[in-house]
Amino acid sequence: MVVHWQDVAAAGAWGGLLALERRAFLQAMLSRPLVAATGMGLLLGELETGLYIGMLLELFHLGSAALGAALPENETLAATGTTAASACMATGEGGGGTPALWAVALLLFAGLGVLGRRVDRRLEGVSAHLADRAQQLAREGELERAVRLHGFGPLPYVAAFGLLTAGCALAGFALSPLVHALPLAGLRGLAWAFPAMACVAAALAARASHAQRGGLWATLAGAAVVLGTLVSGWFSR
Amino acid sequence: MSPEAPSIPRPIRWRVFRRSLFLQASWNPKGMQNLGLAWALYPALCWLYPEPEARKAAVLRHLSPFNTHPYVAAAIVGGVLFHEERIARGEEGPERVEAFKRALMGPLAALGDGFFWLSLKPAVGALCCALVPVLGAWSAVLFVVLYNAVHLQQRIKLFRLGVHKGDRLVEGIAEEHLPVWGARLRAVAAACAGGIAAWLALQFGTHQGGWTGPLLAAGCLGLGAVAYGLVARGVSTYLLLVLAGLLAGVAGAFL
Repeated sequence: MVVHWQDVAAAGAWGGLLALERRAFLQAMLSRPLVAATGMGLLLGELETGLYIGMLLELFHLGSAALGAALPENETLAATGTTAASACMATGEGGGGTPALWAVALLLFAGLGVLGRRVDRRLEGVSAHLADRAQQLAREGELERAVRLHGFGPLPYVAAFGLLTAGCALAGFALSPLVHALPLAGLRGLAWAFPAMACVAAALAARASHAQRGGLWATLAGAAVVLGTLVSGWFSR
Repeated sequence: MSPEAPSIPRPIRWRVFRRSLFLQASWNPKGMQNLGLAWALYPALCWLYPEPEARKAAVLRHLSPFNTHPYVAAAIVGGVLFHEERIARGEEGPERVEAFKRALMGPLAALGDGFFWLSLKPAVGALCCALVPVLGAWSAVLFVVLYNAVHLQQRIKLFRLGVHKGDRLVEGIAEEHLPVWGARLRAVAAACAGGIAAWLALQFGTHQGGWTGPLLAAGCLGLGAVAYGLVARGVSTYLLLVLAGLLAGVAGAFL
């Protein structure tokens, strides 16, 4: 097994940084799958891998939102972890990313969103402890120290999600020889799996848009694309 | 602060605004955004209440449970400054600011969730996914630019509304017609999702070529349509994704 440790470190750093953005600062959507995965792909030298995995997971998680105190699945971990694993599977044996590798990574790692939610829930306990401590300090008149505890809130998230993402990159390197040893028919099948999953993710996105007559809008736009492609193909002949 | 004292200086107000961008950093199930709110307001509270006891009381009243949408919270943070200035001048009691927060955090959370989380984010996400074939990796950059052009402008506007209008900020928010814009954005999201589904199916069909090309394209579109129907009946989205992958994988391996 070949491991590029600088890739593992870069994946961990990007995963941790995005956990900070998602959880604590600004929430400017850098942690959404399309952006997070594309950034990860760029960092690991597999831009196309990041872009297409990010696009699929963006569509898959399009309707996810933290409403009230409810926690959604952690789509950021799913995106960064899947992209890191896929990119490392590709670079581990010296090849480039292909739809077959993206499909393997998605089938194995897309469920990380559920794990991420569990980690989020666990770490809320640390934040609750900080808030209790802040109340206690404020009652004792230590106001500056009390409010400063707020800054410690994101640190466990950065550490936990950084480590998990780095773990996905390592898993990618470990899986690389196995995936590259797959028979040709298996690889062709996996190459078919990616567009099928992308279409399903897009259909799920149309449903998750919560639009009135969402199905109608999606069908009309899909029909327009098919018609436009057929007409342009006919003219180009 | 004496009754003639001027309002909070602009640099301190903007410091509070900048700190409000970190509101969620210590979100917890008990107090939720309480510590974040106290941290954001702290520079203003230090300026308004030079006496330690009054400052302590002010910090403690903002450590009570608080939760709202993190963007729309800017309006409440601004409104709290509006009220705290009056409390410091002795024009109103501290119960007014607590009532203000309690009254607005729920409705504004619903408004923010509906517009930002359930409309703007899906619409920009789906639009940028649909533009991946045209723009490539720039579609990720476009996502960040488009989303934040609306998000940051609204956040600043809401903060100003709160600071200048206090309780009357609701009138200013109503003039934005966010629910109407939300419904339009959701339709954009659905249309973009349908468009990208069709494009993906056609592209991979074309790429495959031969007699299996049209079959792959039609199969992908069919799988999408079936998934759309099944998810409405409560079938797990992960199950649908994995089944689609396995089905297509088996077909690709043996055809």
